[in-house]
Amino acid sequence: MIELLMTVFSATFFVTVIRTTTPLLFATLGGLISDLSGALNVALEGMMLIAALTAVIVSVYAPWYVAVLSGISAGAMLGALMAFFHLRMKADIILVGFAVNILATGGTVFALAQATGGDKGTSINLPSKGVPSVDLSFLEAIPVIGRTLKSLLSGHSILSWLAVLLVFAVWYFLYRTPYGLWLRGVGEYPAAPEAAGIPVNKVRAWSLIASGALAGIGGAQLAMFNYIGFTRDMTAGRGFIALGAVLLGARHPVGAMLAALLFGVFEALAIVMPNLFNWIPGELIQTIPFAVTALALVLFSYRAQRALQRRNAAKA
Amino acid sequence: MSTSSPSRFALVGREVARAVIALAIALLVALVVILATSADPAKAFSTLLTAPLSSNRTIGLWVDDVAKLTLTGLAFSLVFQAKQFSMGVQGQVYMGGLFAALVAMSPIGATPFAIPVAMAAAMCAGAVYGFMPGYAKARFGASEIVSSLMLNYIAILVVNYIIRAHLAPAGSGQLVTAKFPETAILPAIIPGTRFDLGIVIALAATVVVWFLLYRTNWGLKLRLVGHNAKFAEYSGIRSSFIMVSAMTLAGSFGGLLGAVFVQGRAFGNLAQNFDGNMAFEGILIAIVARNKPLAVPVVALAYGYLRQGAQLMGIRTDVPTEMISVVQAIIILLVASSFTLPGKKFIGRLMGRSQTATTAPEAAK
Repeated sequence: MIELLMTVFSATFFVTVIRTTTPLLFATLGGLISDLSGALNVALEGMMLIAALTAVIVSVYAPWYVAVLSGISAGAMLGALMAFFHLRMKADIILVGFAVNILATGGTVFALAQATGGDKGTSINLPSKGVPSVDLSFLEAIPVIGRTLKSLLSGHSILSWLAVLLVFAVWYFLYRTPYGLWLRGVGEYPAAPEAAGIPVNKVRAWSLIASGALAGIGGAQLAMFNYIGFTRDMTAGRGFIALGAVLLGARHPVGAMLAALLFGVFEALAIVMPNLFNWIPGELIQTIPFAVTALALVLFSYRAQRALQRRNAAKA
Repeated sequence: MSTSSPSRFALVGREVARAVIALAIALLVALVVILATSADPAKAFSTLLTAPLSSNRTIGLWVDDVAKLTLTGLAFSLVFQAKQFSMGVQGQVYMGGLFAALVAMSPIGATPFAIPVAMAAAMCAGAVYGFMPGYAKARFGASEIVSSLMLNYIAILVVNYIIRAHLAPAGSGQLVTAKFPETAILPAIIPGTRFDLGIVIALAATVVVWFLLYRTNWGLKLRLVGHNAKFAEYSGIRSSFIMVSAMTLAGSFGGLLGAVFVQGRAFGNLAQNFDGNMAFEGILIAIVARNKPLAVPVVALAYGYLRQGAQLMGIRTDVPTEMISVVQAIIILLVASSFTLPGKKFIGRLMGRSQTATTAPEAAK
C-alpha cells in the first residue's frame, strides 16, 4: 500500500496521468460539443481509431504536424459523414455512430494490412514519427521549486498543452460567443433557434465535424505520443469512456476536463499497478477504468436525478 | 399493428427492395475497393460471392454463422423495439459462454443433461448481465449505451482472465480450455460439418421472440413503450418495468448465444476472445430486419453468406477479410437512412415541384 501511495504521489505518475488523460480529454471535448448540440456521438471510438491510423501512415511520409493535421481532418470527415447521414438522410445518430465504429474496427485492420504489406496487428514495420514533447528544463533555474516544477511540467506532449488550451477555448466558445449560444440553443430546444432564424442543421453539422476533429487529435496523440505506431483496436474503449466523461462532467468543459482527468488517473493506475502488485492478475487491473466509468456514471446519474426531484418538489 | 394484407405485402416488398439496393451499393463499393487493392480482383470478388457454396464444409460454416447471427440479431431487435440502445450483447455472450463452459466442464457435462443445463445457466448469466444496464437506466437514469459498453469490456477481460488462470489446462500456457465431453457439444445435423443443433435453437428462439412480441400482453406494451414511452406511461403501462424486462430478456438471448458459441461444433471449448466481434454484427441484422423477429433469420441467412464469403476471401485470396466492414457500414448507413430510389426521387421531385408550383408558389421558394 505504501509503495502505491509513493508511486501515486511521484512526479513520474503525474506525467503518466497527463499522458493517459490527453487523448481522453480531446475525445471528451469532442463528445461534449456534439452532446450539447443534441447528438450523442457514439462514434468517438471509431473516429479516434481511424484518425490514429491516418496519422501514423501520414507520419511516415510527412512531418509530425502534417500527420496530426491529417488525423484531425480524418476525424472531421467522419463527422461530416455522420452529419450527412443523420441530418440529410434522417438516420438515427446512434446507428450512424455504430456504423462508423464498425467501419473503424475492420477498416483500420484492412488499411493497416495494405500499408504494411500484410501485417494485421501493428504498424511496427512503418517508420512512423511521434509528436515532440515540450522541453522546459530552463525551469530548473528557478530557486527552490525549480526542480519540482521541471519534473512536473517538462516532457509533456505539445498536444497536452493544446488540450488545456482547448478546454478554455471551448468554454469561451460555448459561453462567450454567439455561435456557442446557438449551439447550446440547438441542443436544448431546437424549435426556438429555428424560429429565431438560426440555421439549426448547419449548427448541428458543424458541431459533429468539430466533434470529429477533436476526437481526431485524440487519436493522433494516442498513436504518436502515448504509443509510437498503430496497433489493432488501440483505442480500447477510450471513446466510450469519453462518452461517460461527458455525462459525468455535467456537460461543461471544465467538468469534462475533471472527468477526463479522473479516468486518466485510473488508467494510469492500471499502468503502474502491475509492477507493484504482481499478485493481482493483469486483466482485472485493466478492468479498472471501465468499472470506474460505469460506477461513476451510475452515481452521477443518481445524484442528478435526486437534484431534479428536489427541484421539482420545491416547485410543487 | 396488423394492416390489411395487400399493404403489408407492399411494405415488406419496399423493405426488401431497400435492403437489396443497399446491398447492391455496398457490393459496388466493395468491388471498387477490391479492384484498387487486389492483384487478382476477379478471383477475389468471385470468391466473395460464391465461396460459401463451394463445399459441404463451407455450407456448414455458413449455417453456423446464420445461427449465431440470428441470435445476436434477436437480442438487438428486442432492445431496439423498446427504443433502448443497449449494446451489451457482447458482454452477455462472454458471460453466457463462461457459464455454459463451467457447466460443461463440471460433472453434469458428462450426462445427457449437459446441453439443456448449460444453456439454462448461460441464459441466466446473460439475463443478469442484461438486467444491470437496464436497472441502472430505470432506477438512476444512467445512459444504457455507456454502461452496457463498459460491461462488455469488463466481461471480456474477466472471462479472458478466468480462462488463462483457472480453466486452461494447468501448465500448458494455452489460452483455451480443454475440449468439453462429447455429451456437452451440440450434435451435428450433417456429420462432419458445423451444421449443428445451433440453427434449430436459433429458429426456435425466433419463434419465441415473435410470439412474445406479437401475441402477448407484454409484447404489446413493449412495442407501445418503444413507439411512444410517454403515451404508454399515460395509458398506465409501467414503462420502466417493460424496459428493464426487455433488456433482461434480450440478455438471456445474448447468454444463449454464448452457449451456442462455446458448445457448437465450431469450438467445443472456451477460448479467449471467442466471439470475434460477431456480437456487434447483430446491430446490422436488427436494423435491416427492421427489428421484426421473423425477418431476422432471413437477413441473417443473406448476411451470413456475405460474411462467410469474406472469410473465405481472406483465406484464399490477397484481400483481407476485414474489407467486409466497409460493406457492413454502408449497409447500416443506407438502411438506417430514409433514402429512396434515385429515379423515384427524381420523378417525385418533378411531381412535387409541379404540385407546389401550382398550389403555393411562394412556398416553393
